[in-house]
Amino acid sequence: MERLRRNPELQAWLLLAIPAAFLLIFFMAPLVIVFVYSFLERGKYGGVEWVFTLENIRRVFDPLYFKTFVRSFYIAIVTTLITLILGYPLAYYIANSPPSRRNALVFALMIPFWTNFLIRTYAWLTLLRTHTGLINVTLLNWGLIQKPLPLFGNDFAIILGLVYGWLPVMVLPIYAALERLDRSLLEAARDLYASSFYAFRRVTWPLSIPGVVAGSMLVFIPSLGAFVTPAILGGGKSLMIGNIISNQFLGAHDWPFGSALSMVMMIAMLIATLIYFRWTTSSEIAT
Amino acid sequence: MSEPFAVELRDVVKQFGDVVAVNHVSLRIRDGEFFSLLGPSGCGKTTTLRMIAGFEIPTHGEIYIHGERQGYRPPNKRPVNTVFQNYALFPHMTVAENIAFGMEMRKIPKDEIKRRVDEALAMVRLSGMANRRPKQLSGGQQQRVALARALVNRPEVLLLDEPLGALDLKLRKAMQIELKALQEEVGITFIYVTHDQEEALTMSDRIAVMNDGIVHQVGDPETIYEHPADRFVADFIGETNFIPVRVVSLAPEIVVELGTGQKVQAGWAEEGLAPGDKAVLSIRPEKMDLLEPKKKPQSPSQEMAYVPGVVTHLVYVGTDTRHTVRLGDGSEVVVRLQNIYVGEEPWEIGEQAVITWNAAHARILKE
Ligand SMILES: Nc1ncnc2c1ncn2[C@@H]1O[C@H](COP(=O)(O)OP(=O)(O)O)[C@@H](O)[C@H]1O
Ligand SMILES: [Mg+2]
Repeated sequence: MERLRRNPELQAWLLLAIPAAFLLIFFMAPLVIVFVYSFLERGKYGGVEWVFTLENIRRVFDPLYFKTFVRSFYIAIVTTLITLILGYPLAYYIANSPPSRRNALVFALMIPFWTNFLIRTYAWLTLLRTHTGLINVTLLNWGLIQKPLPLFGNDFAIILGLVYGWLPVMVLPIYAALERLDRSLLEAARDLYASSFYAFRRVTWPLSIPGVVAGSMLVFIPSLGAFVTPAILGGGKSLMIGNIISNQFLGAHDWPFGSALSMVMMIAMLIATLIYFRWTTSSEIAT
Repeated sequence: MSEPFAVELRDVVKQFGDVVAVNHVSLRIRDGEFFSLLGPSGCGKTTTLRMIAGFEIPTHGEIYIHGERQGYRPPNKRPVNTVFQNYALFPHMTVAENIAFGMEMRKIPKDEIKRRVDEALAMVRLSGMANRRPKQLSGGQQQRVALARALVNRPEVLLLDEPLGALDLKLRKAMQIELKALQEEVGITFIYVTHDQEEALTMSDRIAVMNDGIVHQVGDPETIYEHPADRFVADFIGETNFIPVRVVSLAPEIVVELGTGQKVQAGWAEEGLAPGDKAVLSIRPEKMDLLEPKKKPQSPSQEMAYVPGVVTHLVYVGTDTRHTVRLGDGSEVVVRLQNIYVGEEPWEIGEQAVITWNAAHARILKE
């Protein structure tokens, strides 16, 4: 005990040991399990048989599943872009509000999180459903449209649901970056003959890129793996990779194939993330 | 208008809600002048500068730059550049990119930009630093980059907001000399904001002394120091004594009565005073001398004042010693005497002394 009290380095190690062990056990272990399961045969009623096989990995690249992969990427990218396009001006507006109002606006941004995501997605369902949804019913009643609009059971509905769900997560890091931005830098740019557009392009934008990168990651990753939103708003017709994975575990009882799918998805996500980082940091330097 | 001024403020007012930051200020700043705005923190110096730069629009009044009315013209359309108090260097750009920024915005050809950036770097002695980021520079170096970034655009007027405020004393003194030399070399009008009176006195051609949004006096350093226009200026610039007096007469001679009833003459009186008014006699500590009572002349001349008192306090400050002397009415006067005596007895606490000064150095100011 005496030694511990005197040795700050030892204290630091002990302090770190607990979270490190926690991470190791509860974060790394499942990853290892997923990795191992990917190469095993399925058990009859779930679980695995301890027999090595590459069949699961091969099946991932079967066009049937691979197409869903590509569509999931497409949906995640479009979702990220739309949240960025909507989120950036919102973050900019909040960051440039008077300090007293800023906190209230950030607070307002968090309010949706108080309600369970599942319930909020069902709320969208009641709005979007083709024949009984509030939007179509209203528009039909007012005679503004003759046929119900295709608002449900397609990519549009999924992207709408994802954008709705993840918009705050895009706004917060961008807001943090913009709020930190020293306003005198913009004045310096204006003083040096920059129009307000150029001041934005040459100063505000490059200095907010870390926020944009963080926000994009935080939206892209969960969008790619989404399963609640496509399950509900996709109407069973439009699926994402997350649905197939969850189905392997919950419905088809094919744990090894589910593991293989998630492992490939993780690797794809990692590669996409790295490419994105590379691209944004190099373009930041270029400006 | 025959010869337009570099910058002219006509009756400029700036209000922020209820706060009047700048209150009916009129200034005429000449071409090529090193002009300082001097005053305590919060007196409206920065706001004045920001209105010239175009970051704030006056609530009332007009600003002219070389005879041209500025009105609502945005900062990027004004022929002035600013050196910001915190430098405001772009952290994501190199030193060279920072300096090139203004020229890029003005679409100056690439090779000319390159040449002028090199020149500017040489001018502020940072030639080896072109590819560094601002964070990798010391405070003094950042300051010089900010200066180069503004001067490289060859503005008609350079605005500087406490540019040396963040530097330590030694570097500050060195930069004062450097800045002044640079200003003379480039011949650009400098408008320099500072709350440091010594800085303003050593660097400026002319100074405007401000307080509470009002300009109290405009003049060259000597005028400001030797002939302060009112009590605020006398108090803010250098050290001074305010001896309470009552005005006896203003013409043909200015005569005031001290608290002890003794009458003395003064060289100048502020406008608006009348015989019978209470006022203060303002005199600098170094303009006075101390005599032993027995050395007081028998028939003193009219313009010399001789006021008896008791030495109550001595502070040795190297080049001179501050003697606090209490007069008969209890008011205290500080006299600074240079430490040049040889053999002579220095003054001691409790000793009787006669303070003497020339009436020309005494100024009668409103309370
Ligand atoms: N943007 C602003 N909003 C409200 N009040 C301001 C603003 N800018 C300056 N002021 C006020 O105006 C006065 C003068 O400020 P400033 O010009 O910065 O003084 P200085 O530069 O002499 O210290 C201060 O009372 C300050 O609080
Ligand atoms: Mg200021």
